[in-house]
Amino acid sequence: MELSDANLQTLTEYLKKTLDPDPAIRRPAEKFLESVEGNQNYPLLLLTLLEKSQDNVIKVCASVTFKNYIKRNWRIVEDEPNKICEADRVAIKANIVHLMLSSPEQIQKQLSDAISIIGREDFPQKWPDLLTEMVNRFQSGDFHVINGVLRTAHSLFKRYRHEFKSNELWTEIKLVLDAFALPLTNLFKATIELCSTHANDASALRILFSSLILISKLFYSLNFQDLPEFFEDNMETWMNNFHTLLTLDNKLLQTDDEEEAGLLELLKSQICDNAALYAQKYDEEFQRYLPRFVRAIWNLLITTGQEVKYDLLVSNAIQFLASVCERPHYKNLFEDQNTLTSICEKVIVPNMEFRAADEEAFEDNSEEYIRRDLEGSDIDTRRRAACDLVRGLCKFFEGPVTGIFSGYVNSMLQEYAKNPSVNWKHKDAAIYLVTSLASKAQTQKHGITQANELVNLTEFFVNHILPDLKSANVNEFPVLKADGIKYIMIFRNQVPKEQLLVSVPLLINYLQAESIVVHTYAAHALERLFTMKGPNHATLFTAAEIAPFVEILLTNLFKALTLPGSSENEYIMKAIMRSFSLLQEAIIPYIPTLITQLTQKLLAVSKNPSKPHFNHYMFEAICLSIRITCKANPAAVVNFEEALFLVFTEILQNDVQEFIPYVFQVMSLLLETHKNDIPSSYMALFPHLLQPVLWERTGNIPALVRLLQAFLERGSNTIASAAADKIPGLLGVFQKLIASKANDHQGFYLLNSIIEHMPPESVDQYRKQIFILLFQRLQNSKTTKFIKSFLVFINLYCIKYGALALQEIFDGIQPKMFGMVLEKIIIPEIQKVSGNVEKKICAVGITKLLTECPPMMDTEYTKLWTPLLQSLIGLFELPEDDSIPDEEHFIDIEDTPGYQTAFSQLAFAGKKEHDPVGQMVTNPKIHLAQSLHKLSTACPGRVPSMVSTSLNAEALQYLQGYLQAASVTLL
Amino acid sequence: MSSEAPEDRMRKFKYRGKDASMIRQHRIAVNVQLRKAKKDEQVLKRRNITNLCSHSASGEETKGVKLTLEEIISGVNASDPIICFQATQAARKMLSREKNPPLKRVVEAGLIPKLVEFLTSSLHPCLQFEAAWALTNIASGTSDQTRAVVEGGAVKPLVELLSSPNLIVCEQAVWALGNIAGDGAEFRDSVISSNAIPHLLALISSTTPITFLRNITWTLSNLCRNKNPYPCKKAVEQMLPVLSQLLQHQDNEVLSDTCWALSYLTESCIERIGQVVDMGVLPRLVQLMTSSELNILTPSLRTVGNIVTGSDHQTQLAIEAGILSVLPQLLLYPKSSIQKEAAWTLSNVAAGPQQHIQQLIDCNVLPPVLALLKNGEFKAQKEALWVVANFTNGGTVRQLIHLAYSGVLEPLVNLLTIPDAKFVVIILDIISFLLQAAEKLSKKECLCLLIEEPGGVDRIKILQFHENPHVALTAMNIIEKYFSENRVFGDELYKRLLSFLQEPGIMIR
Repeated sequence: MELSDANLQTLTEYLKKTLDPDPAIRRPAEKFLESVEGNQNYPLLLLTLLEKSQDNVIKVCASVTFKNYIKRNWRIVEDEPNKICEADRVAIKANIVHLMLSSPEQIQKQLSDAISIIGREDFPQKWPDLLTEMVNRFQSGDFHVINGVLRTAHSLFKRYRHEFKSNELWTEIKLVLDAFALPLTNLFKATIELCSTHANDASALRILFSSLILISKLFYSLNFQDLPEFFEDNMETWMNNFHTLLTLDNKLLQTDDEEEAGLLELLKSQICDNAALYAQKYDEEFQRYLPRFVRAIWNLLITTGQEVKYDLLVSNAIQFLASVCERPHYKNLFEDQNTLTSICEKVIVPNMEFRAADEEAFEDNSEEYIRRDLEGSDIDTRRRAACDLVRGLCKFFEGPVTGIFSGYVNSMLQEYAKNPSVNWKHKDAAIYLVTSLASKAQTQKHGITQANELVNLTEFFVNHILPDLKSANVNEFPVLKADGIKYIMIFRNQVPKEQLLVSVPLLINYLQAESIVVHTYAAHALERLFTMKGPNHATLFTAAEIAPFVEILLTNLFKALTLPGSSENEYIMKAIMRSFSLLQEAIIPYIPTLITQLTQKLLAVSKNPSKPHFNHYMFEAICLSIRITCKANPAAVVNFEEALFLVFTEILQNDVQEFIPYVFQVMSLLLETHKNDIPSSYMALFPHLLQPVLWERTGNIPALVRLLQAFLERGSNTIASAAADKIPGLLGVFQKLIASKANDHQGFYLLNSIIEHMPPESVDQYRKQIFILLFQRLQNSKTTKFIKSFLVFINLYCIKYGALALQEIFDGIQPKMFGMVLEKIIIPEIQKVSGNVEKKICAVGITKLLTECPPMMDTEYTKLWTPLLQSLIGLFELPEDDSIPDEEHFIDIEDTPGYQTAFSQLAFAGKKEHDPVGQMVTNPKIHLAQSLHKLSTACPGRVPSMVSTSLNAEALQYLQGYLQAASVTLL
Repeated sequence: MSSEAPEDRMRKFKYRGKDASMIRQHRIAVNVQLRKAKKDEQVLKRRNITNLCSHSASGEETKGVKLTLEEIISGVNASDPIICFQATQAARKMLSREKNPPLKRVVEAGLIPKLVEFLTSSLHPCLQFEAAWALTNIASGTSDQTRAVVEGGAVKPLVELLSSPNLIVCEQAVWALGNIAGDGAEFRDSVISSNAIPHLLALISSTTPITFLRNITWTLSNLCRNKNPYPCKKAVEQMLPVLSQLLQHQDNEVLSDTCWALSYLTESCIERIGQVVDMGVLPRLVQLMTSSELNILTPSLRTVGNIVTGSDHQTQLAIEAGILSVLPQLLLYPKSSIQKEAAWTLSNVAAGPQQHIQQLIDCNVLPPVLALLKNGEFKAQKEALWVVANFTNGGTVRQLIHLAYSGVLEPLVNLLTIPDAKFVVIILDIISFLLQAAEKLSKKECLCLLIEEPGGVDRIKILQFHENPHVALTAMNIIEKYFSENRVFGDELYKRLLSFLQEPGIMIR
């Protein structure tokens, strides 16, 4: 591709087409560009266009295309061809900075991004001139150019904020500092001076302040890893100027916009970050500046308004104070009573007020409001920052701060009492203040776990919360109602049980409130109360205590799902699930209606599943209904099948991907509930479950395996007799699963069920093939997870078919194979097996190999007998070897490139841990002793000599312990 | 030969796949420094600026005349020894000026060969003294100036002066050699190979005046100093017996420099540490760590800190000498550099076998470590964090649970906002280890609570969106494994992470 006008023209045409809304035109053009981008000069053609094209649209389009091209191709990947020829690389680097700086802003941004992508690869070694080229532009005096340089520098250096320290990184930073720190400092000083000479020129000020913001950001990046010598020597300059800028105000820079932060706010906010960085990391050197910054920032807070545009600045500034005030050596800055009062009065209280913006969110954007208020995603809000400051101050000044706030709380409550409908916000602030003051530690599961003892929470509850909740009108003052319910929720561990019990019917009543926040909070509060633990690990509330409200509770919960905005409300569904779980058999009378409502809901949401949590709890609730009912009356399982199978069929037929794993789990539960032979309806489904397409989706696999396991457990004989032709299909699934590093363990689950439950003669002909497949996988990729599963499998096989059968099948594949497996896999790796049942299977299997396998006693395998015994004792006595070779750490991610939906496991459909050797062996150590004893009676004298000659002393001691415990001796 | 003993197996578990060498001696991890050089180290070179010299050898002092550099040049080249002496003295005075001594000009004027020549004028001890002094001060300058002295051939005659009957001449030679050796490994070895050590050691006796002894000790410390290479084994063997005697001295300066000498020797390798420890110096070092003098405390603590970077056996000896009863107080020392060194020392004890970790528990070291982690200055906090990291890396399940219940989680959680990605990952790893341990003892619930109460879960959740993918992945694993209430995985998060991994320039592993 030459740099010719003709080529420029062609490229222009195609670029134009990539902007066409019609995909029939757009796609081929994009394809064409991709097909030519490997040619030499292609990037230079783009650069020429973005500089010289007459058409502004083409200029921008070329710049975007160029940036994407760089993003895809610049990086040289080992073992892959270099996608950009060297001459182009040199030419790009020689021209791009100049081009970027002389372009209009829209293009400048794209080129600046491209520079940082190139810089990430080439800077500093392969782009040594970049820094000098940039620094030289500082002299230009043209702030359009200077800001371009600063922006590029920022995108190059900002990675210093999150990369790990390393010699390489620090060498680069040192290089940057040597070239950049002094010019940046000079530019900083010069820019500040220009600000005062242009104090009356609004447009000049705006450009200068953009520079100052970028300079402050660069300061943060360059000082992040450690305090550079240069900045330590020049701290005076930087900090004095930062301090001045913090206190500066200029009418010309104030914006009218209420929402968007202006330049002044952005700059001050960054300076707060810079000061916080120094205070946290370079305390010793920063100490003498800190008090000034504390005062400046606190003055800033007092003088900053309530508008949303100040939110970031205010929360940054408060967080700075919060982090400083809890350090012991700065305690003195805050301890004066007047200081404390002023912080409480002028910083904390105003920032806790319920603002118009909060009110809007409460009404119109309740989901967001709930997430912020309930789930703690309010990190950047003023309220949260103020709350953190209260906690920080309480570390040293709990008494005085509590005292100051008590006064406020009382006066705010009085205000409210005078005229509730006008002053309800005062009460809201009072409740918020009490909450933040009282809560020292909080968890989702338990609410507040440590409270300020100076606040009487129960008294406040009885006097100020309960009366509100008892009001006849559930829809009046919704914010205060929500506050009250939240109070119960978070202080549920502090308020006595009697009071909570009084609240239960009130909360049930609030499920009917129109406000989404109020009825959601009510559902959530009930759910939390029902999960509380009392003594002896039981729930705090018994089913009997809640029994009087069962009917109204269930009715209101389901009714709440019909309120506008809550048809898929996850909190309500979770409360339904929790109520079932608490009430247990008390819900049986209502099951017919409940299951009808749940299936209707299921049918409705399966049209377009959008709320994963809601759906999850819904299925949990279905599982609970089944469990609770069938526990009392197993025959009822048929009723559930009747109610559910119709919807399930619909889901399977319409291929509702999100729900299929759930459906399989519920079916497993239903199938396992059947006590007799497997019903024919299930058998009809069996062939469909083996269809490869179902197994393509990763999310289905665990649930499908679980279901097949249920089939094997309940219907192995039916399968062997009526569906023997499906066994190869079943093994096909196994084959597919063990080929994948991510799913091999699922393959083993299936295989183990086959070995355990299928009549031996039905799988006889496949056995050798199974082992060959396993060996193939072992050779191709041997991972720790595979080895663990493999070990469990061969030991299960040994238990089921006998030790001799295991030896024979190995040696039948290849002579001496059995010895190799013992030596290379079982003995060295057995320590890695995890899980109690798994370990037990291995212990019993190895015991069989030691004591019931004649070739172990009288062939060349004899030499492995003691090492095998030693490793078995190791399995009993040594800690589990949970080490994983380094190269395996990221297998899971690499192995699932086509990640779809992950598997969602239902807790209440849970399978009980299954122990295939349960009845046979209770204590594997005793079992080993007895088996050895038996062996020694068969060949007297040999066992003691093998044991005493080569078992190590410690192992021998353990073994003697087992023999003693079993009261046997070796003959 | 026989199959692995359980003891050896246990070792393998200890670092759980992590590189063991990473854990000890992390001081040398990053060689490039952005910071200013340390301020509390021992001085490398010293100029002699004594104004008034009452020694008889310079009795002519008062008569001395002020000469220009040109006059000096012609003076030293004169044949009359008196004129030579006056010129040399004038040069020495010039070089001893408190402000702006003309080191550079004197070197450029080519005075050094003459000064070196005068060192051998054994008939004129006063001239020898003045020349040695002048050379001392030149050698105190930049590396190039020291090099000029060495290349002018000064080392050999200076070493000969160590046997001078004139004590003052001898002392000045000691000083000059100290400056030369202090420049770096190269000239240190020139001094050593000129056989200076036996002569220096011969100067020490019970009657050596204290000021002289201080000078000798300081010079010895410079002969122990510097790396690439470290001083040879033989030199160390020669010096160590005397150093261990000096360690019993009562004079603060002698003690300080002796401790510095030992700290340099123990910096190098396990073999050197072994040589030092074999002298039986540990009990005295531990005693000196309680000194009220900062200039004794700093180097003795440094030496002990270096010793515990050595083998498990060497660390064991340090523990037996009682370091664990002294270090807890030092963690609370008013100066943060001392807190930091003490914590560093403990971090290497914590990197040892489980019985050493048990000693940390038994000697009640954890409370002050955790106090430091909570309230210390950043540098000290980081070292305290290393103590905890190594502890959790190597401790038994029970020791980990003990740590968790000692209140480590609140400060750890607070530090999750630390502006340093590496340390955030270390903290997350510690939290994972503690959770794993708790799981094994069925105490997971309790531990989760201890993490959540101080706001840990919120913070870890936010870290899932950290720009550094290692941080994000580690945080995500913890949340998914221990804090997701139901198993609905965050698809969005997962996709975000995958796209992270595909971004150019970021490699996991």
